[in-house]
Order: sequence, then C-alpha cells, then structure tokens
Amino acid sequence: MTTPTAAASPRVAGPIRLGRNARIAVASVVFLAVFYAFIGPQQFANALTLGAIYALIALGYTMVYGIIELINFAHGDVFMTGSFVSMTLLTRIILPVTGLTAPIRDIVPLLLVLLLVFALTMPIMGLIGVTIERFAYRPLRNAPRVAPLITAIGVSFILQNLALIIFGPASVNTPQLIAPELSVNIADATVPYINIFIFVLAIFLMVALNQFVGRTRLGRAMRSTAQDREAAQLMGVDLNLTIAITFFIGSALAGAAGVVWGLYLGSVKWDLGFNGGLKAFTAAVLGGIGNTTGATLGGFVIGFIEVGAASKGFSRWSEAIVFAALIIVLVFRPAGILGQQLGERA
Amino acid sequence: MKVTKLGALAVGAALVLSACGPGATTAPGSAGGGGSKGTLKIAIDLPLQGSDKQSSDPMINGIKLAVKEASAASTAGTDFGGYALTVDPILDDALNGTHDPQTGAKNMQTAVADPNIVALIGPLNSSVAKAEIPITNEAGLLQCSPANTNEGLTKPEFGALDIRKAHPDKINYVRVVTTDDKQGPAAAQFIIQVLKKTKVYVIDDTETFGKGIADNFVKEFQAEGGTVVARDGAPKTTSDYTPLLTAAKPKGPEAVYFGGVTGTGGGIIRKQRAQVGIGDIPYVGPDGIQDGTVETSGTFLNIAGAAAKGSYSSLAAIGDFPAKKDFDAKYTAEYNLAPTGYSATGYACAQVVLAALKAVLKTAPSDMAALREAVRASAVNPATNYDTILGTIHFDANGDTSQLIVSFYKAPDPLKGDWVFDSQVDFGAKK
Repeated sequence: MTTPTAAASPRVAGPIRLGRNARIAVASVVFLAVFYAFIGPQQFANALTLGAIYALIALGYTMVYGIIELINFAHGDVFMTGSFVSMTLLTRIILPVTGLTAPIRDIVPLLLVLLLVFALTMPIMGLIGVTIERFAYRPLRNAPRVAPLITAIGVSFILQNLALIIFGPASVNTPQLIAPELSVNIADATVPYINIFIFVLAIFLMVALNQFVGRTRLGRAMRSTAQDREAAQLMGVDLNLTIAITFFIGSALAGAAGVVWGLYLGSVKWDLGFNGGLKAFTAAVLGGIGNTTGATLGGFVIGFIEVGAASKGFSRWSEAIVFAALIIVLVFRPAGILGQQLGERA
Repeated sequence: MKVTKLGALAVGAALVLSACGPGATTAPGSAGGGGSKGTLKIAIDLPLQGSDKQSSDPMINGIKLAVKEASAASTAGTDFGGYALTVDPILDDALNGTHDPQTGAKNMQTAVADPNIVALIGPLNSSVAKAEIPITNEAGLLQCSPANTNEGLTKPEFGALDIRKAHPDKINYVRVVTTDDKQGPAAAQFIIQVLKKTKVYVIDDTETFGKGIADNFVKEFQAEGGTVVARDGAPKTTSDYTPLLTAAKPKGPEAVYFGGVTGTGGGIIRKQRAQVGIGDIPYVGPDGIQDGTVETSGTFLNIAGAAAKGSYSSLAAIGDFPAKKDFDAKYTAEYNLAPTGYSATGYACAQVVLAALKAVLKTAPSDMAALREAVRASAVNPATNYDTILGTIHFDANGDTSQLIVSFYKAPDPLKGDWVFDSQVDFGAKK
C-alpha cells in the first residue's frame, strides 16, 4: 500500500516544498517497515484498521480547525452518535424491512445493505454537524476564542447525555453485517474481511475528500477561506455556506467512522466519543492540525502506537505511550509532523 | 470563601431536608405483623439503574420476602416486641446509570439520621461500601452487604481500620458473601480441578476490584502448578481488545481469566475473542460479569451474545445450599421470577438482621438509639450463630462470614435465560 502521505497535500497551507514531501514519504515508509518488523503481520493488520478509524475521525477535527480555528470538542461525540444512528437504522429499519439477519453471507445483499447504511448515516450525521455549527458555533464566530470552545464542550455533553438517556448506560449490541470470522491469509496474517473493508473504505473516503478539496469550486472556497477569511469573502466566497459544508463533510466522515466501528467491534456505548475523540484529536495535533494529510498520518501513527503497546504487553501504559509520543513530536515539531509553522498563518 | 460558605449552607440544608424526608413519609403499619408500638425500618441501599439493577432487583426481592415471612409469622408483632417491620427506604446509590460512591455516602447520611432505621442492607459494590462504612461505623448502624467482596472492607491487613476509623473495635459492617482473596483463588482451583486446564491468559480492567481479584487469582493459580501465559491490563476506556487477544493467542492459553465487571469490558472481550480465533476456550470471570439474563440489554450474556458459550462466572457465596429447592419454589411463587444467586444472599442478610432484632427485642429498648446499638452489638457478636438460608454462619471479629464457599455458574446452553449453577469450591475446607 502507499502511505497516505504520498498524496498531494489538499490544503494550501503555504507552498510545501517537494523535498520535504519526499522526506516525509520516506520517513513514513521507514516507520511502517520498522513497525511491521516490530509487531508482526497480524498486529499490523489490527493497527491499520484502528488507525484508519482514528484517521477518519481526525479529518473532521482538522478540517474544522483549518477553516475556523475551533477545536470542535463535540466531534468525538458526533462519531459516537454516528455509531448509534447506524445501529438504530440497521436494527429498526434496514434489517427488519429486508428480512435479513446479520451477518449477511450473500455478497449482493451485503453490499446493498452496507451501501444503504453508509448512504443514510453519513448525510444524517452531516446534517447534525451543520445544525451544531448553525446553533452552537455560528452565533459565536466573532466572540473571543474561548467562547465557542466552551459551547463545543457543551454540545459534547448534550450528545453524550442524549445517548445515555435513549440507549442506556451499558454497551449496546450492533449487527456485524460482515461475519467477523471470515478472513483471508495475507503474508502470514489471517486478516478478517471486515478489517480489509474498513481500510479500503477509509482510504477511498480520504482520496475522495482530497479530490473534493483539491479539484472542486467548493473545495477551492474552503481552502481560500482557511487561508484568509476576509479576502475570500471579498472574492465572492459564501462564508456561511463554506463553513457549513466543512462541518457537513467532517461530520459525515465521523459518521462513517461510527458505522465501521459498529461493524468491526459489534457494540457501541454512550461514552465511546470521549476516548475515540481524544485519540483522534491527538492524531490531528500529531499530524499538524489544519492539515488533512497530517490528520490521516496522525491517525495511523496513533493506531500503530496503541496496537504496538498492547501487543508487547504494555496495555496498562498504552495511553501514556500515545501521549508521550505526542509530547515528543510537539517538542521537536511544535506544529505537528506536517503542520505549517504558526508564523505563516495570518 | 463566600462560595464555600454558601455551599456548606446548601449541603447542610439538603441534609436536614433529606433527614426529615423519610421520617415524615412513613406510613405506620405498612408491613404485616400488625405491631402496636410503631414501625421499625430496615433500609436498603443498592444501585437501581443500568446494568447494576439486574443484580440489585433479586436482592431486594429476597430481602422483602424474608421480612414478609418474618412479619407474617409474628402474631401482632410479638416476635419483635410489638413493633411492625417495613423495608424502607430503598435508597439508590447509582448516578447516571452506574453505582457511585458519593451517592452512597449521601444515602448513608440520610439513613443514619432516621432514628427508626435499625439496620441497613447493601450496598452492591465494594467501592460504594468503602465510602459508606465510615459513616455507618461512626453512627453505629448495622450494615449487612449481600454482595461486597473486597477484602479491604473488613480485614485490618488490607487497610480496613482506615475505613472504620471512628470505632475500630465496634464492628457494624458484616457480609454474607466471602471475600476476593477467596473468590480469585477459588477460580484458580476451579480452572485446574474442574475444568482441568493449566495454561491461562489473564486480563484485568486495571481497577481496584478487577486488578485485585486477578492478582489473587494469579497467585493461587501458580501455587497450584498452573502457568499464566500472559497477563494484561486494559482500562475500561478500551474498546478494541483485538491487539491484546492477538498477542495472547500464539502463547497457547487453554482458558482466559478476566478480572473486572461487564461494564469495564467483560462482555466485549468475550465477544472479540471469537473474532481473533480463540473463541472456543473457557472464559472465567468473577461476580462482576454475572449480571442478568441473555435477554436483558447490557448484561454480559447479552453483550457477548453467541460468544458467551463456554463462559463461567463466580459468586462469592454458596450456590448449592441445602434448602435451595424450597427457597426457589417460594421465591418463584412470590415474584413469578426465577431467583438468582443474589436472591438468596439478600434473603440471608435480612435473616441476620431479623434474628438480631428478635433477640434484642425480648427486652424493651429504652429508646431508638439504644435499640440500634443493641441490634448492632448482637448481630456482629462472633458467638452468635445464624441459621440462614445459606447455612449456619457466624461472623468473625472483622465481620466476615464463616462460610468460605465460592460457587461457579455457567452460561446457559442453548443461550437463553440466566447463568446456570455449575459447581462450588469450599475454600474453608482447604485451609
């Protein structure tokens, strides 16, 4: 596989020199090779899966930060909400109506149901994200920086408590559409199809995002808004629409992460968003917040560190190790692995 | 400073209010027996929300059944000095769906302030008990737990003197179940002697209860000649256990021991084991995973689903007691429900309280405070033997039961209903 860093940077956070890009690509390949040797093929597959999920969530953090410089603390709970929305859609509507039971073993109905659950959950979560932005962040757009940060924490608690009240405090089972025991042997590892599905889907969504941001009018509007909000407005960019779309895409990606989480682990819980969100936020900071390629890279790095720690018997330390890595990276590169230096920012 | 004072005022006001509350609402003679002197209250404190409720409800039913029977047997309250008995109030120590030590402590303030409460049954969780005992100890209120297993609640060598600081020699807390330093090791004996497995993978949830019981398990398992192939700890925030299980698989475990409760990963680990390909070896856990039927959302059996097959959970109490058949029959007749292991321990706690009351009320107490103290002193006396549903027991100098039996329950096969009693290990017989 190619490393996510090999893709062109989608954001114009200042011109990125080719030399640096190449260095990062080489560093990523070396990092992957070392990790592969360190944890072995089986754990490597686990790490890619977990990393892909973190990366999907981290994209939403980094996009929102890139465009309005808000750390959207509610984003982890948007991910959690997405997992519950997909669980509800599957157990209440899709499976009863079609008469299918999980796991679905015929390929055509399986793909149709998967397509349906993603096609429904992602827009629903996108709309929820836009609603949150409209009511909790937009009125505070010109307020001091700390105000929307607090409303973000407020939204986070609202989503958590809603899930707690509606679905109860215990883990809730969610259908594993792809039979978890089905697997294929790749390079000495028994890789379940579900892991492959998650990885491929995540890469697909990331490439799609890249193309959208890099190639379309709206994407250009997003990039210009991130660079200089006022200048973009003077050039005719609809600021509210652009920010709303950023939230829509970020939340839809978190929704997709929520769906795959349920498919992968088979249970969801109301407090899922806190830990998932924290790890993804760390990934975004690690990769360089505001930079989508960085978020992807950071997500995989966190996934690798976590799985690496667990596989070597350091599970008690896994959170400490993740955050120690963050501190080390930030000490040497305060803006994150791929982040631009703060001075460049207007 | 101002804020602190206001806060103190508010807390004080709340205390006064809550102290008045239950006393004011008592309906005289609300239970059978028809006492003329008034009503004595046996309070309950258990978590009544979330998955904890699955454990609490059978206990409450057991307690109510025992009190109802005792009241019915006592014509005009003669067994109890002319007093009527009631189970009231039933306090909830859960907050936001899970047991909460601070809520438990607040409940104790309420309970000790109500002079008509002669004893309290509960709590379910050791962490809650740790916050409650200092309060009931200071007030000298008898507390009997049907479920707490943490050894630190009673045994001085595990730090219990810090908990009963006010009156270290006046024991007020007793329990009818045995302790984690028996429950963990009993599981080790169970895996070696009953399941005949000698290589085990141990994982705990890094919390006081989970890690403690797993440590005790490991010690005994190794002493019995078994091998611990790997030992992990994963905090309850962990959702993805596949890396841990993947790492453990090649080491060839024949069984898995989990130290923790359902809410800290018990069910999810079991489920993910199948995914990694070690789903067909037995999985043994403590009482923390024995929390209700397959059909109830959020229980271990429900979360693990089809993967629950081959799981065992222990209960630090006797499972196969002599009068089990009779007890099960009358419980089912009363509630139209099957009893769980906790129904009997709740019933037994109530029996202890009732027996102490009966003994004390042979002579009329001068006032309620004297009655409360007499009940406490009588109940915890190591010389007193109690004929409980669990068997004849007494409490040692720390308040621990003399019955050191741990029982093991198996996940139902086919997967329907509740855990099924499998076998029991008498730890008292060994030592």
